[in-house]
Amino acid sequence: MPGIDESLLEAMRLPGARGASLVDWISGLALGAVGDAPGGDWEATAAETAELGRHVAESGSLAAAGTAGDTLEPGKEPPVEDLIATTGDAYHLLRFVSTPFDSTVFLHLWLDRNDGNLALARIRLAEMADRLVLG
Amino acid sequence: MTRVTTTWTAHETTADALGALAREGATGALSGERGIVYLKAGRVVHVESAFTPDLGALLTRSGAVPPDGWWEAVDRGGTQHRVGHRLVDGGSLAAGALEVCHLGALFDAAYFVLAHDTRAQRFRPGAVHWLGAVRSVPVDVVVRESGRRRALLDRIWPDSAIDTLPLTRVPGAGADVLPVRRGRTLTQVDGVRTAAEIASALACRTYHTLVELRRLAADGLVRVAPAAAPPPRSGAEPPAVVWDDPDTALLRRLRDALEAL
Repeated sequence: MPGIDESLLEAMRLPGARGASLVDWISGLALGAVGDAPGGDWEATAAETAELGRHVAESGSLAAAGTAGDTLEPGKEPPVEDLIATTGDAYHLLRFVSTPFDSTVFLHLWLDRNDGNLALARIRLAEMADRLVLG
Repeated sequence: MTRVTTTWTAHETTADALGALAREGATGALSGERGIVYLKAGRVVHVESAFTPDLGALLTRSGAVPPDGWWEAVDRGGTQHRVGHRLVDGGSLAAGALEVCHLGALFDAAYFVLAHDTRAQRFRPGAVHWLGAVRSVPVDVVVRESGRRRALLDRIWPDSAIDTLPLTRVPGAGADVLPVRRGRTLTQVDGVRTAAEIASALACRTYHTLVELRRLAADGLVRVAPAAAPPPRSGAEPPAVVWDDPDTALLRRLRDALEAL
């Protein structure tokens, strides 16, 4: 069963992968990171992408969020599965990870736009997110 | 056992004492006012604080691991300091899930140990936590992250009284649609409980509950309960905090006393 590092190394084997990290989208902490950091600093990248992820995960429009008093189980959130940011030369793929206990994490894959295959990466990252917490 | 070390005592704060122990590559447990940091070869392997749910509480109260499975792992793996490995080997938990939950608990407790960075009280060389090795983190990363977390809370709503005092809903303030976590946190605000007690009730990490509570305070939905509010925190003494589980606090003190003999 893969741990955090094994999962990130597996993500780095995808064609065009430049860097991969596991980020807590409430605190902005990188729980693990491999490869190059976009911008050169994983801690800064994690803090910034966490804000982005949080806004989407908590969005009343994008995410079919519960109302006040809703008592969803910890594993049932967030309703957003992933988000993709495209730049001139790269893709950023953020995949939310559901866990059966309290955690607020996503996998972040930085993918070269020429060498990477976004559709493949999206499918693989979803599988990796499941294996990370389900074995 | 590592060699006896005393240089940590020269430092005024827990963070500086941890730095000195890290430079020595020390192994053992450093006790501060609000918790215990476990080091192995100069890296942080575990942190415990009475202000935060521990790994067992996070896993069992959420239903991720049945209580029987947790206690079996503690019984069988505790004396060999292999409880974490037991959970994974026994199929109770995926390796990645254990790491994610462990790091969540580690940084959560570290925030409270380092938030009021008073002098470290005691270092027990060679002490090892029964959970065993899961992941280790450099001391400077833990210290830096705790400082960043403090700054993040103050950016959301600069009132640290929210973190420690009983909280109440603001009368008449209507909550529209809230994000799931925030709504769930709000339901636990009852005029009596503190943030740590709310986190415990929800089986959530306490820091992450503080974030939601400060956002609720910023939205005008939650404030410090007026009747129970002692004077604001003075620089000299942190406010007394009521922990909802006196047995845990008592047991921890008892254990520390026995180990000190």
